[in-house]
Amino acid sequence: MQEQVYTVTDFQAVCNQILETAFSGVVVEGEVASFKVNQGKFVFFDLKDDGASVGCFMMKFALRFPIEDGMKLRVRAVPKLTAWGKFSLTVQSVIPVGEGSLKKSLELLKRKLSDEGLFDAAKKRPLPINLERIGVISSTQAVGYADFCKILNERWGGLRVEVAHTQVQGMVAADQIIRALRYFNERGGVDVIAIIRGGGSADDLAVFNDEALVRAIAASRIPVITGIGHEVDESLSDLAADVVASTPSNAAQLLTRDRRAEKVKIEQDLRRINNLFNSKIDDARLEVKRTVGELRRALEIKLERLSEDLRMREQILAQLNPENVLKRGYVIVRGKLQKGELMELITYDREAVVEVKSVGQRVRFD
Amino acid sequence: MAKAGRSISEKIDDLKSEIDWFYGDEFVLEEAMERYRKALVLSKTIEEDLDKMKNEIVVIDRDFSQGDSLEK
Repeated sequence: MQEQVYTVTDFQAVCNQILETAFSGVVVEGEVASFKVNQGKFVFFDLKDDGASVGCFMMKFALRFPIEDGMKLRVRAVPKLTAWGKFSLTVQSVIPVGEGSLKKSLELLKRKLSDEGLFDAAKKRPLPINLERIGVISSTQAVGYADFCKILNERWGGLRVEVAHTQVQGMVAADQIIRALRYFNERGGVDVIAIIRGGGSADDLAVFNDEALVRAIAASRIPVITGIGHEVDESLSDLAADVVASTPSNAAQLLTRDRRAEKVKIEQDLRRINNLFNSKIDDARLEVKRTVGELRRALEIKLERLSEDLRMREQILAQLNPENVLKRGYVIVRGKLQKGELMELITYDREAVVEVKSVGQRVRFD
Repeated sequence: MAKAGRSISEKIDDLKSEIDWFYGDEFVLEEAMERYRKALVLSKTIEEDLDKMKNEIVVIDRDFSQGDSLEK
């Protein structure tokens, strides 16, 4: 039987074909060593453990987290035999693994993005008042999403909620959430975007520290609220968002009014104006009483003055009464004052007829 | 102010205006009874709406796992 003889090139091609078929997208975990970036776009590092080491290559744009030697990573890659016979992994995506690596990566990225101003307080927008339409990015199978919807429905109604279903953990989650953010921003039609994810481990929540995702949140034209994890969890996505809720339930609370509290307030307000109304009526009643009292007093004074005036006039009239004049000894004389004429004399209690004997000039003393 | 087709938020704002009138300088006793009745009717409507209103939750029919690669 003749042996198959390969050229070096053909042998490498066959090996790569076999590798691609057997390991089309293998996930490998190890510690970073000899990390470097060439020409600003080509990333090289070794991934090692206690027993072996493998070289890795990737494009810088695919590196979603800052990494450095000593960090533990998980890469999705395609194994390859290079033209000069070196075995390496061509990396498609990478995430840090384990608390230490995640923490280190996070610190590096946080400093970098903070220096760029992505987390500046001046950039934060408030939630719109009288919200009507909410865009939600979450996994519809997750507990966090269920909690969010439950609280939302309990507290308020009349909202239109459009949900973009995405993964919320794992290596593919960041890209899906970014696509959903872009979808809402390009289409419009929502007043706010809520990114929702329930509690989990640091690994589970690592996606929310993905650099591209954090940048997409900061760049969103529509205000973003995040409700990620538990109260103690803070991700870089939270720092980039306009509003941060401590949990998915808290996000629903921040987005809505509480219908029960509104009803209580309405009842309290009605009670208050009812009391105010009654108080105003009482005030008016007192005012009327006071006014009537003043009017009565004014009338009494007027009547008294009029009575006094009447009495004075009666006295004057009495003095002018002819009977009172006669009583004082005066006499009324009627007739013509000529010699021989008869004249009538009237005193208080007598009448007489007299004849004029003579008429002469009277001497006056005025 | 026409009430037909007003949202719950607008109705709550209307009620707030009616209530604020009672505390304002324009308060007139003769008008107060009619305004109070108006506020009572409006508050009842609002409470009924608050009890009945529901949210419309729609899952977008789009696969966000598919799409262009998100290069910087």
